[in-house]
Amino acid sequence: MRIKFQSSIAGSPMANCPPSYQRCTFNAIPNTTQLLSKCKIPLALVTSPFRHLLPGDEPVPVIQPEQIVRCRRCRTYINPWVQFVEQGTRWKCNLCYVVNEVPSFFDWDPETRQPRDRMKRVELTHSVIDFIAPQEYMVRPPQPVVFFFVIDVSYNAIQSGMVATAAKAILSALDSIPNSDSRTKVGIMTVDSTLHFYNLNAQASEPQMLVVADLEDVYLPLPEDLLVLLSESRGIIESLLGRIGDMFKGTQNVQNALGPALKSAYKLLSPIGGKIIVLQATLPTLHDGALKAREDSKLLGTPKEATLLQPASGFYKALAVDCSRAQVSVDLFAFSPQYTDIATLSGLAKYTGGSTYYYPGFNAARPEDALKFANELTHFLGRPLLLEAVLRVRASRGIRLTAFHGNFFLRSTDLLALPNVNPDNAYAIEMTLEENLSTSLACFQSAVLCTASSGERRIRVVTLAVPTTGNLQDCFLSTDQSALAVLLAKKAVERSLSSKIEDARDAIVHKLTDIMGAYKQNFTTSGQAVQLLLPENLKLLPLLILGLLKHSAFRATGTIPSDMRAHVLGLQYVFPLEFAITNIHPRFWALHNIDIQGDNNGEVVFPPTLNLTSAKLERHGLYLLETGMEIFLWVGRAVPQEVCSLLFDKPSYDQIPTGKVILPALQNAYSQKVNGLINKIRHIRLLMFTSYPHLYIVKEDGDQSLRMWFLSHLIEDRIEQAYSYPQWLGHLRDQMAKVSSG
Amino acid sequence: MGWDGILFLFAVVMSAILLFTMIIMFSDLECDYINPIDLCNKLNAFVLPETIAHGILWLAFLLNGSWIALLINTPLLAWNVNKIVNNRHMYDATEIFRTLPKHKEESFAKLGFYLLCFFYYLYRMIIGLLDTK
Repeated sequence: MRIKFQSSIAGSPMANCPPSYQRCTFNAIPNTTQLLSKCKIPLALVTSPFRHLLPGDEPVPVIQPEQIVRCRRCRTYINPWVQFVEQGTRWKCNLCYVVNEVPSFFDWDPETRQPRDRMKRVELTHSVIDFIAPQEYMVRPPQPVVFFFVIDVSYNAIQSGMVATAAKAILSALDSIPNSDSRTKVGIMTVDSTLHFYNLNAQASEPQMLVVADLEDVYLPLPEDLLVLLSESRGIIESLLGRIGDMFKGTQNVQNALGPALKSAYKLLSPIGGKIIVLQATLPTLHDGALKAREDSKLLGTPKEATLLQPASGFYKALAVDCSRAQVSVDLFAFSPQYTDIATLSGLAKYTGGSTYYYPGFNAARPEDALKFANELTHFLGRPLLLEAVLRVRASRGIRLTAFHGNFFLRSTDLLALPNVNPDNAYAIEMTLEENLSTSLACFQSAVLCTASSGERRIRVVTLAVPTTGNLQDCFLSTDQSALAVLLAKKAVERSLSSKIEDARDAIVHKLTDIMGAYKQNFTTSGQAVQLLLPENLKLLPLLILGLLKHSAFRATGTIPSDMRAHVLGLQYVFPLEFAITNIHPRFWALHNIDIQGDNNGEVVFPPTLNLTSAKLERHGLYLLETGMEIFLWVGRAVPQEVCSLLFDKPSYDQIPTGKVILPALQNAYSQKVNGLINKIRHIRLLMFTSYPHLYIVKEDGDQSLRMWFLSHLIEDRIEQAYSYPQWLGHLRDQMAKVSSG
Repeated sequence: MGWDGILFLFAVVMSAILLFTMIIMFSDLECDYINPIDLCNKLNAFVLPETIAHGILWLAFLLNGSWIALLINTPLLAWNVNKIVNNRHMYDATEIFRTLPKHKEESFAKLGFYLLCFFYYLYRMIIGLLDTK
């Protein structure tokens, strides 16, 4: 149930906010506080205002009007859902209902001295627009793009090949780093038991290394030349990157001083702002921020596991807050065969709006690992960047914002500070009704004030209009189950980190039974007590919730190491909506009977998806399952011999490799079709979340742990102690039986 | 009792002033006159001194034998000690907005408590002064 775009002020089809940008849990908001509390569904907004454009998406219009028109009281930007009053001389704000003046340039173009049709204005026809902001929106001249790499060169980092792969990837990405105004600055620092800075002065013939061994009192050895212009010092930077792998080859240094390194990086970047990219392969051991290997596998799966998910040191969080203030964001790439305390280190990314990328057991000798890292890092460096940003969400009068979820620092009651806007991240905002809504339309506007990588100050405005209703049935029938599931996931992450994972699971189930109970109480008669009733649009909610309970972030199990658990929790907290849904409810296809001829003009066509149950697995079958972060290829025991040779280039089933592989690209139509599907998945996931999923081949009678991992994604089945889908529905039915019908 | 009373009065007045400052700063935060990092830095400087001052006050009551005053102040002491033991006594800039309503309630409750104590000490001090005369 979506509002008709014809009722927007200019009647333009682009006035409806695309759900990929911003979505509300309700598509018809209850207009009284009692109604909202009666239906028990949380009111929330899931927004990703700067999501990366996928192929086929409309680009966002960029305009520079004579004046940015805003409401004089609530400062809302003019949008397609305002109303013109008093014969069009004034406009009424759709958020605070105050009447404002319409400026003259709406109807009259001062330059060409011609009348204008105001209804053609981009502000009134599009729900997602970019304004170019004038000087009043700047507190300082727009900053340039700054990338500072802090590279671990201890024993683990060199042995695993991380440094060599990273250097190569950065080298090849130098051209795609945003640098349209030639102001981009780059710096490199390497860390083991001492800090190594590099003089990258363009005049020098080769880069000069300066070692700082004083970790107590960090200082910068040079006033300049540690951070240089990319365009000027390109040659020197390339020469350094080419040699960095060899410079530390054969090192036996196992210590790492990440804390002091970050402090000095912060010192270097704080006058300007920018991005610190940490490539870490060891647990920091020296001085500030030193961490211990505190992993205790006996605690996993018990309520005490929560202690392993709490940060062990407050250093990183405090540093992140300082960084956020200086417009510096930190992104962490963690590689380690052993414990890296992601729970503590991810605080760096969490409060500065960055991301954490984790490559457990990384080994560059495996081409799959090197390929994944290189692809992700290259995309990460090359994607469009927005700097020194703040995000504010405004809602119609009567709606109050109560909680915010995502990676950011809350600078004021409703202002999210994002030193670097991460296009992969989404933010969930919980709201409540303070007073009854008086109008028929509730609007939500997200505005992000930022600096583009070209040096322009921009404002992205995303406006969502949702009708209100006084009818409880309409509220239930218009609920967006995906937005609801994603909100519950983010709330569960917060609960897991503030108390225990068990509490988070209980809270999710409790919420689901509340909602179903409310529906039952209000809309069913006592004769229907034995059936489980839900409206059509919420039919998948129990399945999504089951998927959430079985997700590696929340599953009741003792087999997930705490690094992985902390990482997955951190990911769930920021996943954009479509990605989160795929991660909770993976996509599953049968490949052994696909139509090879189905592709027209090179378009990749996916076969129909299957239910996530092993009942679908046939002995001769070949199946593909993707979660967004991984891709699994299940090979049945009795798969025909020609499939083995066509797809895997192997004579028989027994010789098909298992685990992480690169599927050979053979010249036959079947191999091309399957590779086409996998490449399409990887392409989309890279754009959506900078994720290049590994491909794992799972044989039906192969490695036990790999099989269990694959089967754990078939959420309709029973695994360990968790319910199967039919059992889960039975459990819900029992819970509902306790609720009396209305 | 006279000089003791003055000392106690002084301690209570200091605490009340501190609390007023805290309450004002919390409302500044809500109105966006101060950012959370600065707020937490300012307030964190006073958390431990306040607790220590209250602890000294309590000890002074113990040594002086003022059992009623001791009894009144023991719950607050226990509350402060509990917070320190659980490491919750410092303000955290990343969580401050979530926990702001709770902090405000706590500050108001403490203020009310200190105000009552103030009048009780005033009474005791006057009684003490009258006795010595």
